[in-house]
Amino acid sequence: MKKPLLPIFFAAIFAAVISVATTAHAQIRMNIVGPNSQLSSIAVSGLKSLSGDDNHQVSGAFVAIVNRDLELSGYFRLISPHAYIEDPQQSGYELGQFNFADWRSINADFLVKGAVTITGQSVQVTAMLYDVAQQRRMMGKNFTGSTADVPRMARRFADAILEATTGQRGPFDSELAFVSTGGGRFKEIYTQTIDGEDLFRRTDNPTINLFPSFDKSARYLLYLSYKSMEPALYLADLKQKVESKITSRHGMVIGGEISPDGQQIAAAVEHGGATNLYLLTRDGSELRALTHTSGINVSPAFSPDGSTLAFTSDRSGSPQIYLMPLAGGEARRITYKGNYNTTPAWSPKGDRIAYQSRTGGRFDIFVIPQAGGDPTEVTDGNGSNESPSWSPDGRYLAFSSTRGGRARIYLLMVQTGKIISALTEGKGNDTCPAWSWWLGD
Amino acid sequence: MTLVQRGRGGWVTRTALQMGALIVLGVIFAAGCSSKAKEVPGANGANLGETNSNGSSTSLQDLKNGTMGGTGGPLSDIHFGYNTYNIEPQDGSVLKANASWLEGHPNTHVQVEGHCDERGSEEYNMALGAKRAQSAKDYLVTLGIPSERISTISYGKELPLCQDHDDSCWAQNRRDHFVVQQ
Repeated sequence: MKKPLLPIFFAAIFAAVISVATTAHAQIRMNIVGPNSQLSSIAVSGLKSLSGDDNHQVSGAFVAIVNRDLELSGYFRLISPHAYIEDPQQSGYELGQFNFADWRSINADFLVKGAVTITGQSVQVTAMLYDVAQQRRMMGKNFTGSTADVPRMARRFADAILEATTGQRGPFDSELAFVSTGGGRFKEIYTQTIDGEDLFRRTDNPTINLFPSFDKSARYLLYLSYKSMEPALYLADLKQKVESKITSRHGMVIGGEISPDGQQIAAAVEHGGATNLYLLTRDGSELRALTHTSGINVSPAFSPDGSTLAFTSDRSGSPQIYLMPLAGGEARRITYKGNYNTTPAWSPKGDRIAYQSRTGGRFDIFVIPQAGGDPTEVTDGNGSNESPSWSPDGRYLAFSSTRGGRARIYLLMVQTGKIISALTEGKGNDTCPAWSWWLGD
Repeated sequence: MTLVQRGRGGWVTRTALQMGALIVLGVIFAAGCSSKAKEVPGANGANLGETNSNGSSTSLQDLKNGTMGGTGGPLSDIHFGYNTYNIEPQDGSVLKANASWLEGHPNTHVQVEGHCDERGSEEYNMALGAKRAQSAKDYLVTLGIPSERISTISYGKELPLCQDHDDSCWAQNRRDHFVVQQ
């Protein structure tokens, strides 16, 4: 059962996300849109106000976020609203209530139309995706909530558009955590949506905060902080706004990650100059030591099923990526190219590991099969590219890059290596991105 | 757009040993729709750090005080090669001088801070800084300073002395800083 979400106002919504008359033709879902093909063009028409949205505020908010998310997806070319011939308030949004020729003439491959009904505090949005050439409806959704919920309705609809056109749900109904100096000198943890809304500063201690990681519910956030003047991990409940401090009797905790199910923490603990990994319960009780070397073992990353840990170790003489079954067994080295490979991240399917590798004085992001093999470079050598984090659908990576001077979080499409956009404002140095799983209902 | 209500709140800290004692801080909700994060009133670094009476301050205190240095105090820094933590030959005399000052001030305690340059991952540099701090501690112990008088902490690459992105700056930042505590 899914836990309620972090901004509390989202908790009560989406009681009804109804798929309206979706005719899911298998052939339509196959590769209509592909990252290597020419971008498909899409027009996102305003929502027709059936009642209560006379100033088009809900429509404007919905359309803006659908457009931004489609743009971030890297699959679409957005057709400017200035080109639209038809007035959505004068036409209908159901099949047969508007003229496909109006959209074919501006070269739209796909068309989004819909309607909004506001009754008191309740907002109902109906949105449809049409295939213009075939003059058919591909997908439709009903959303009910309050005005505060409209951005999430838009994200969910954008994710559904990607599902209808690429066969795979989009990743935008999710959150991004990252570290930022925010223009000052202290590193604090922030969260925002992928499309740049709802920016919250989640820590408020003028020291150093690092390494945010979400559990799968995105309700809990683990991070390292020097707020007590010494490093320790903190597990924050974003809903209840409480947190627990996690320390180790073995030494100083200098990093860690929460498991996907939220029940365990892999922590890097330093003692006598050696840093080893320990498996802890979520309340900080130690389960067992995972590594036993006199060197460095850091940056633990759980596989999506929680069975295996990827981490960085210098046991071979240089930092390299290793995988270790948590049920017991030897660590297996998977990186052999490059002499400084670190910060592993598992793909959501569990089949690949992204990591950063030193190239000259900088880093680039590489992806390697979890079984080992040839790594693929997915960044372009522009700036230093670090700390990859996968989108929940496995098609994208968020990473930090100095390509624009100061470090910011960027989005890239893994299959093509296309750097799509910066995701953060870049007021300060933005680092250590962590992309959450999809937010629940 | 004025549709999204935003909120933020502080957390409460509870240690693993004090699970029962939760104190809930106020949750601040703010309406609005700017792309700026909500800041907590009165939260800034001023006046939160301290300096020890001997002029020695931790690099984190310096960060809080906005003085960014970590160079004060009676003991001198030592420096390291890229991605290494062995004591360089020329730093032996620095450590001997630091040891004799500590011998002359037997009631003091020293915290060795390990620091790294900006290249490399944050977490690996945390561990590397710990190695560097431990190297100096081990050296001081071989010179006769009791290990109980020496603690270590790593700041990884988080508190650079020099902010430029070149070899000379990186060399200054790969350091152990020694903070005398009474």
